[in-house]
Amino acid sequence: MMNNLQRIQPPVFPIEKVVIPEAKTFRLNNGVPVYLIEAGTEDIMRIEFTFRAGQVREYLPLLSSTCNMMLSEGSQNYSSEELNRLLDYYGIFLNQSAEKDMAGIVLYFMNKHIEKVLELSREILFRPVFPETELNALMKKRLHWYLVNREKVQNLAMDMFFESLFGKHHPYGYQVFEQDFENLTPALLSDFHLKYYTTGNMAVIISGKIHNKTTDLLNTYFGNIGSKEIHVEDSHNFLKGEKEKKVHIFKSETVQSAIRIGSTTINKRHPDYPGLKIFDSFLGGYFGSRLMKNIREDKGYTYGISSSLSSLDLTGYKVISTEVSQKNCQKTIDEIYSEIKQLQSVPVKKEEMAVVRNYMSGEMVRMFDGPFALAESFRSVWEFGLDNTYYYTLAEKIKTIDPDEIIELARTYYIIDELYEVTVGSE
Amino acid sequence: MIDYKRFSLDNGLRVLVHEDKSTPLVAMNLLYDVGSRDEDPAMTGMAHLFEHLMFGGSQNIPDYDTPLQLVGGENNAFTNNDITNYYLTIPSENIETGFWLESDRMLELDFSQKNLDTQKNVVIEEFNQRYLNQPYGDAILKLRPLAYKIHPYRWPTIGMEIAHIENTDLEQVRNFFFSHYAPNNAILAVTGNIGYDLAYKLSQKWFGPIEKREIQLRKMPVEPKQKQERILIIEKDVPSTALYKVWHIGPRKSKDFYTLDLISDLLAGGESGRLNTNLVRKKKLFSEINAYLTSDIDPGLIIIQGKLMKGVNIEYAEQSINEVIKDLQKNIIKDEMEKVKNKFESSTVFSNTSILNKAANLSFFELLGNPGLINNEVDAYRNVSQSMVIEALRKYFIPSNCSTLYYKSSQKDK
Repeated sequence: MMNNLQRIQPPVFPIEKVVIPEAKTFRLNNGVPVYLIEAGTEDIMRIEFTFRAGQVREYLPLLSSTCNMMLSEGSQNYSSEELNRLLDYYGIFLNQSAEKDMAGIVLYFMNKHIEKVLELSREILFRPVFPETELNALMKKRLHWYLVNREKVQNLAMDMFFESLFGKHHPYGYQVFEQDFENLTPALLSDFHLKYYTTGNMAVIISGKIHNKTTDLLNTYFGNIGSKEIHVEDSHNFLKGEKEKKVHIFKSETVQSAIRIGSTTINKRHPDYPGLKIFDSFLGGYFGSRLMKNIREDKGYTYGISSSLSSLDLTGYKVISTEVSQKNCQKTIDEIYSEIKQLQSVPVKKEEMAVVRNYMSGEMVRMFDGPFALAESFRSVWEFGLDNTYYYTLAEKIKTIDPDEIIELARTYYIIDELYEVTVGSE
Repeated sequence: MIDYKRFSLDNGLRVLVHEDKSTPLVAMNLLYDVGSRDEDPAMTGMAHLFEHLMFGGSQNIPDYDTPLQLVGGENNAFTNNDITNYYLTIPSENIETGFWLESDRMLELDFSQKNLDTQKNVVIEEFNQRYLNQPYGDAILKLRPLAYKIHPYRWPTIGMEIAHIENTDLEQVRNFFFSHYAPNNAILAVTGNIGYDLAYKLSQKWFGPIEKREIQLRKMPVEPKQKQERILIIEKDVPSTALYKVWHIGPRKSKDFYTLDLISDLLAGGESGRLNTNLVRKKKLFSEINAYLTSDIDPGLIIIQGKLMKGVNIEYAEQSINEVIKDLQKNIIKDEMEKVKNKFESSTVFSNTSILNKAANLSFFELLGNPGLINNEVDAYRNVSQSMVIEALRKYFIPSNCSTLYYKSSQKDK
């Protein structure tokens, strides 16, 4: 019997509809919103404290990221050394991050240490002292990291890409220069912290096998912190793309060139966004995409090429990224445009539609698998004022989108003359 | 506690199954007991190039990826010195497609010239992207032949040089497949939303009919004991000087492994590690510094690497690393031992929340001959005592066992 096995694909079953556990919402005594997502089998939790304190709020380059990094460099009750030692001692993983819109901290820990986690989080978030010695040391280190990063073609390309899209004067767009590392002082950081790391500007997202004392403990540690009303002036910076659509940066002795092609676009709040997300998959959003198939799997020009679609508070952007050998740079760019044109003019065939539909349905299952993925997926709609409806709409769109809609999306959102093209290399 | 069951097929394939009903997905991890250490020194990079070829179609399936994407699956693979490891996740209702795909490419690959030519280019671009076009990217290419003179660990997985990849022909590819890819040279782990009975049935059905193959006998040369300190100085156009120090250690299964792992954590685990605290924060000699084990199956290395702050003298920086190690011998704090043990425990718990990690760990531990390690590693690590640490420091951290790379910046200080 065994030897007669027909080695053909087993039946393909439709992927079960994704069910997303809803977050339970409550407010601390001082009004801070808390979202609880119960999931997982181990006694572990993830807590995220998030603030609208990202780069978009900063009035000097590096201010938002430095303020965030300095949170754990000393507080009223602990030196940086003590804080780091305690976090490690209790096996707590602390991630600090400042993105374009949001900034904050995420902690991963075993439930038995919840009280310590909350105590240390309060120190980090609400009692930092921004010591000058630590600040100077951090800025020196950051300058070193910066100099190393600026040796990489992909970073040079991405920095220039953002500048082109969002403008030289907007925090989404401006590049960082060596002298920027000398401009920050403890007073500037304190001021930024006072304005943006407030309970009025904060949310807490918790997931895992949630400890039964979580809500009480959160109130104990955070429920009494008041929010001072501080007048924050509106930013006078407007998003404005640079005029020049094609930019080339010369970098000597590079083996490969970096390419970034894309432009600003709609964000998650726009009804066409789910469709555009699906379009992005066809173009370069997964391993079987048009760009990967053509430029890597057929021509072997690159180790990898991808496209992505991202949402920001004030806008969205799409970008195609790759690194290719110098001699194939122009050929790759031509192929990229040709793939976009193809999707604008020729309807996608049934087989490819089925692959993308099912691949994306599988992706959606992965996006809600386990406490960490759930929290990240929650955060990425919550910050746009959206909820799981966004995901259910996307899931529906994945099932129903047709080839004509793909063409329509390609023509509306991928106007080739509007795309920016950044290259970095030694030619 | 991770429950698993294990069985073997008649053709020698070993299978481990762990059921986790909390996820809608199933993970499959298929480990082949072949890595870059099994390569001919004149044809290095073969194991890794071969990993790429495994996606180019098999006897009955023209393209690996598409049918997997069609059932909502996702996959990837990696190659290291010791193993080649393929893994995927699929929504559980379609798991049989995973068995069909993996068994077909174990049965026989479609050896096509076109696929070989394309993947050679892709791998050369990978070589360029990861090793040549990154600052410090080639450090490992210099470090390995400094530390190893005979053993195949002297070349990196990507290959010693691009020419080896360029020169590979279809006949060599075919030979490589039949001498290393076989049920009796592989371990399959299946984890997630799948019961033992189904996993057993599907393994029998799809992998059962594949015949045993004669595996090329492994004759690993033994690296002679290093007798003298080695040092290599190179100068490159990078923004700051970097320092690499490596010491030979025992194999992954040696009794000192967890002691050395703990030592690397005392030195560089988390922000509060000794190297970071003393040399980055206090003395401000480095902008970053790290320590880790290569965790190789044959005798491996413990590596300390750091990037120097501008203007710091490299001999002084190196001497300072040596002092941190020396100080550790004299002065271990009980709390600090407890700290790294707690952190190890917590990172193990976190790692085992992922079905993919559980599948990868089960297969690798089975290869080591002890799948129970998935539950016992924390104890092994907890059992390390202060005296074991001191003994290991004395045994391994001696100059004659050390190779050092000065990766100097040719850029002038501004």
